[in-house]
This record gives sequence, structure tokens and C-alpha cells, in this order.
Amino acid sequence: MSTAQATRPGLLAGDGIGARLARHSLWLVVLAALAIPLADLEVLSRDPWAELGRMAMGLALPDFTAIETPLQAIGLTIAVAFWGTLAGVVLGLPLALVYARSRLVRAASAAVRAVHELFWALLFLQVFGLSALTALAALAIPYAGIFAKVYAEILEQTPQAPQTALPEGTGRLARLAYTELPQAFAQLAAYTRYRFECALRSSVLLGFVGLPTLGYQLESAFREGRYFEAGALLWVFYLLIATLPWWAHRRLLLPLGLASVWLLGPWPEVDPGLLWRFVSEDIWPRALLEGDIGGVVTWLAELPDLVGTVANTLLLGLLGTVGALLLALVLWPLASRHFGNRVSLRIGQGLLIFLRSTPELMLAFVFLLLLGPSLLPAWLALALHNGALIAFLVCRHAQAIELGMPGLPASGRLAYELLPRLYPGMLALVYYRAEVILRESALLGMLGVATLGDNIDDAFQTLMFDVAFALLVITALLNIAVDALARRLRPCEPPMEDPCLR
Amino acid sequence: MRSLPSLTSVLSVLSLGLFSLPTLADQSETFRFTAIPDEDESRLVERFSRVADYLSETLDVDVEYVPVKSYGAAVTAFRNDQVQLAWFGGLSGVQARRLVPGSQALAQGVEDAAFESYFIAHSSTGLEAAEQLPDEIEGKTFTFGAKTSTSGRLMPEHYLRERFDAAPEELFSRVGFSGDHSRTIALVEAGTYELGAVNFKVWDAALENGDVDTDKVSVIWSTPNYPDYQWTLRGDADEAFGEGFTDRVRQALLEMEDPELLASFPRSGFIPADNSMYAPIETVAESLGLLR
Repeated sequence: MSTAQATRPGLLAGDGIGARLARHSLWLVVLAALAIPLADLEVLSRDPWAELGRMAMGLALPDFTAIETPLQAIGLTIAVAFWGTLAGVVLGLPLALVYARSRLVRAASAAVRAVHELFWALLFLQVFGLSALTALAALAIPYAGIFAKVYAEILEQTPQAPQTALPEGTGRLARLAYTELPQAFAQLAAYTRYRFECALRSSVLLGFVGLPTLGYQLESAFREGRYFEAGALLWVFYLLIATLPWWAHRRLLLPLGLASVWLLGPWPEVDPGLLWRFVSEDIWPRALLEGDIGGVVTWLAELPDLVGTVANTLLLGLLGTVGALLLALVLWPLASRHFGNRVSLRIGQGLLIFLRSTPELMLAFVFLLLLGPSLLPAWLALALHNGALIAFLVCRHAQAIELGMPGLPASGRLAYELLPRLYPGMLALVYYRAEVILRESALLGMLGVATLGDNIDDAFQTLMFDVAFALLVITALLNIAVDALARRLRPCEPPMEDPCLR
Repeated sequence: MRSLPSLTSVLSVLSLGLFSLPTLADQSETFRFTAIPDEDESRLVERFSRVADYLSETLDVDVEYVPVKSYGAAVTAFRNDQVQLAWFGGLSGVQARRLVPGSQALAQGVEDAAFESYFIAHSSTGLEAAEQLPDEIEGKTFTFGAKTSTSGRLMPEHYLRERFDAAPEELFSRVGFSGDHSRTIALVEAGTYELGAVNFKVWDAALENGDVDTDKVSVIWSTPNYPDYQWTLRGDADEAFGEGFTDRVRQALLEMEDPELLASFPRSGFIPADNSMYAPIETVAESLGLLR
């Protein structure tokens, strides 16, 4: 244990942060490589080209006239995203203040984050019907869990000196107002803006269960093969995301939000009877309510095969995470100002918008046609979508870096100047996305991949809410475990300058 | 357009009010229905608003169409009294009537009395149309439609189990759920899955529109007949909308003859139906664990 031994030179040896991160990443890749034989990755394809050609034509020649009430759909998409994010902030900020101290708050936050927005929507649908209340709750609750965690991490990293200057016995709120907020406001705001973009994506996705956002028509048009209509809707969404910096300017955002309130109505009448029936009866196995222990055992035995589905979910999560890391490494330079020319830069940025804004379900369907039914389409869809998202955030981070060694070739700039500074943040981001990937694997059941989420979807469709609820609880527990593991593994020494790299 | 029905409804409220005061408030309630067609979900609101107008004129109440995306959502809305009338598939209708005791199947489409599913196959399988499902389908890849679709999942699985005495997962090398009939056709045509099961009406319509490459995908077997889509009304409709309302709704549905309205479903007309007709669906759904 002498220092000489610890600093012995060698490939990937040593105590430096770079070597440690490199070892860390390689372990991750090796783990994924070892897991590959367990995954079903057979390619079974015959003639997908006619259908893929029709999709490409739809994207190339979108029919904007086919969109039903486009302004209302766009308006509602924005309104749900805006108010959902805001409600998430209002719920999440107080939790962030006690996050470090309370294990309960951490676990509760991980639990609500674990459940996909679509499943929250399916839960609230049972009580609030197809209404804006369902949509807002479905965004606000998981977002509160996310804000609690990320805000807490940002506040933790504010310099501590001003706090020591406060008189003894200063309350938590005063500490926030006088020392933390002034220092961290820019970071908090930047993260909230990024979450708003995520909320727009979620808002579109909520259309898939029937809330009339852009996704409502997009899902049926795509599902029924009306690709000219689906293409038009996708373009509308890409443009919405691409022009975000202009229309979601901080001065415009509040008026925009207030103006969109009327789009959210009509508000449903909340029937307390429905709510009570749902929480006191629907989500519990009947045998349990009747105190029939034997019945509960039978009920447990009839649950879908848990070992297999949990294993599949974790496998897809691991492969998706490593895939996203590798893809992000390849993709981010394409859209960074440090490489290429203006044309290549625009193309790179466009590609990232395309990949991160196309719902995974659609990417997965394209790969399903190309490669046939197996884990492979799901893996590629998750890796591409999340890889592009990480690449986009890494680009934003790289934007702020000024190069110190002029005259280096591109490879040198990448290897010696940029990657060493960007990689720690990137890896932290990958760990955070692992949780998201796990959650998203739920949506890819149509590929015949038996994940936990697929079983939850089954249970909702057959109206067996007790089974759905039990599986959701298991998903939440799984996420609490993954979250705790990621907290331990995550390299946390380098201060992360950009809050969005989380 | 809207002022006419509301005027007549005001008049009917007034005339009814003379006899039974308690129904006065109830009469002003809006009667809501939902419907998911088995093909072409474009411009749903526009198309079904015309059906709402027809019902409103015939029934003398305000009628509103509530768009939903899935049968699950339709059943939930029906259970929670957010809609009182629904155009359900076979299985979703059974689910809904179990959850809302007293609710009744009122009418079915002319085509629904003898509905069928087609088993379709990619040309590379070399399978051809036959009297019964050939043994060669074992070990191939197969896709159903939506998980709770009667014609895309329930009945095809039932006949598969009957013929082979095995679960689909044991019979086929891979089993998928495409989520939609059009998509099942697209996936089998592309050879992504070698076989699939599809609603016969959707297949016929796609064939007629020239959307199917018949060199690549063809029907190899059609199932025996079973009952499918139907209109189901909540049991408390008479209480909420007045004595005899159930009969009037049934009458209005059976008398819907405008081809433009019927095309939304799409059906050629509606004929009477009752709950007992769907007992076979109920039995099959129970045995497959889709209903309890």
C-alpha cells in the first residue's frame, strides 16, 4: 500500500481521475459484452423495404393539411409541458431542501421517478378521466422526484463559505434565500429549461394514451400507416424543439404559459368516490381485502414470471446504457462547434434533434421492420434516443469550453482538450440516464420483449389494476436499488459545472 | 345546428317536468358516448360528431362524443360514468358489462353477428389457404394485434389452442403484439413476422384500397364465426335520462341508416343484440386469463 505502488505507471493503471474513469467505463463495456450472449439478438428480416420506403416518403413529403386542429394540438402540448414542469418545480423544490438529510425523501423520489409518465397517466386516468388534470399529474409527480434529486445536487455544490457567515440558528429557508439561491440560480434555471424540453417530449407521449396533444394523432397515424400525416406531425414537433431557444425565451415563457391555461380545460369534476374506490379497492388483490390468505398465495402465484421479466428489464437497461454511452461518444462531435464547418454543424444538430425527438416507439418500429423481432430493435432504439440526448447535453457543455492549445488537429482537440474535460460529466449523465432507460424499456413491449413494463401494460389493458399496482411497486423498488448503486458508482470528485450534465 | 336540439330538449324537459319533477335536473344532463372504429382512426371527432348530432336529434338530449384511444380507456370511462354509451369490441364490452352491473348490449353491426379473423402468412412460408391450420406453422414467428382485441388476439388464440392444444408461446418461436390490425398486415407483408392474425374487415378493406401486396402476404385460414362489436348502454340510463330511454337509444341505433354515419364504424347497419350473445367471448376470455 505504499505510494510508489499506487502510482506505478502502466496501461489504465494509476490513481488519476482519467485512469479511474477509463477503468470504470471499460468495466461497464465488459459487463455489457458479457451480458450479450444472454440477450436474444437474432436478426430475422425479409423484405422491409416497401414499408420503410413508405415511411421515408411520409417524412420527405409530409402532408400538413392532414393534421386535425394543429394549433390546438401544439398549444395543448406546450401548455401541459409548461404547467406540468411548473407543478413539478413547486413540489420538488421543498423536497430538494431535505433531500440530503432524509432517506425517506430520497427513496420516495426514486420511487415516483421509477414509474414512467405513461403509467402515471394510466393510473390517473382511472380517476380523472381523459383530462388535463391527468396529464399534469402524470408529469408533475415524476418530475417532482427528478427536481428533488437534481436541485439537491446543485444546491449541495454551491460554495459553502457564505453559509458560514450566516448567524447561528438561521433557518433552512433563509439559508436557501440568502446563500444558495443567489449562487445557484443560473444552474437551477438552466436545468429547469432542459426539463421543459423533456416535458414537451413527455407531453407528446401522453397523446399515446388519448390526451389530445400532438402525440394523439401521431400515434394513430403512424400505427395505421398514414405516414404522410405522421411525417407532418413529426416535422411540427422537430420544428418546435429546434426553435425552442427562441419561442421559449425567458421573457416569453410566462405570458405563453398564462395564455395557454385556457387550452387545458374543461376541468373534470373530481369524484371523491372514484378516487376512494381506486385507492381502497381497485389496486389491492381482492383476496387480501377479504383476508383470505390462501387466496393471496394463489394471486401471487398467478403474477407473471417475475424473475425472467426483471432479468430482461435489467439486461435491456444495461445494454441500453452502454449503447447510449458509446453512441454519445460518436455523436457529440458531429454537432459541436469545435469540429467541422457550418454545414456539417447544422446537419449534426439536425440529426441530434431527429434522434432525440422521435419517440423511441417509432425508432423501435423501424428497427423491428429492419431486423425482426428480438431484443435488438429495442436496444438500438433506446441507445440511439438516449445517446443523442446525452450528445446534445455534452455539446452544450463543450460550447462553453475555450481551447487552450491552438493548432491541434481535430483528433488532438478531441483527445487532449475536450474529452478529458467532458468525460466525467458525460459518465455522470450516463448513470442518470440509466434510470430513464430502465423506465423507457417499459414501452417496448410490442417487440415481444417481456420486460416489467410490458407486463404492467398488459395488466392495465386487462383492467387488473391490482396486478399493475404490484408490478409498479416492484419497478419502484428496483429503481431505488439501481439509484442507490448508481450513487455509489458515480464518479463525483470532479465538480460538474453544467447542471444539465445530470 | 345546435340551437334546434337544445330547443326541443327544453320543450321536452318542460313537458316531462309537469309529471315528474325529479327528472327535471337530470334531463339537462349531457348524454355522452365513445366509439373506436376497428380501422381508420383519422378525423374521429369530426366523424363521430355527426353521429352525436343524429343521436341528439333522435333522442332529444344533448349528445357529446368523447374520443378515446384504447379499449381500456373506453371501459374506464364507461365504468366511471364519463360516458353512458359505447361502441365496444367483443371483449371490452364483456369487461364493461361486468364492471357496471345492469348495463346492456343493445345492438351490434350487421357484420358482427358472424365476425371472423384471418390468419395471414408471408409468402416465404409457402403456406396456402386451407380448411384447417397446417401443422407447419409450428416454430414460426407470429404476431397478434392489440393485446385485448377480440379479433386480433382473443379468438385467434382460442382457435390456436383448440387446434394445437398449446399456448402460442409454446407453439411459435416468437410471439408479438403489433398493437393494430393495419400494423399486423404491414409486419407480415414485410416478413418481420411470418404469420399474423387480423380482423377480416380490416383485411378486406386494405385489399380493396390496394394497400396489400398479395404476392407477399395472403390469407391461409379463416376462423369460425363469433360475435364481435356492439353498442353497450349503462344500466342506470333510464334513471338519468328518463323512463324508456334505453329503448329509445336502441331504436335510434337500429334506425341509423345514413351510409355516411355508418361508414364511421364501419358497418352496413345495426341489428339487435343482447348480453347473452357474448357468453362465448366471456368463457374464452376467462380461460385465457384476460378476464376475471
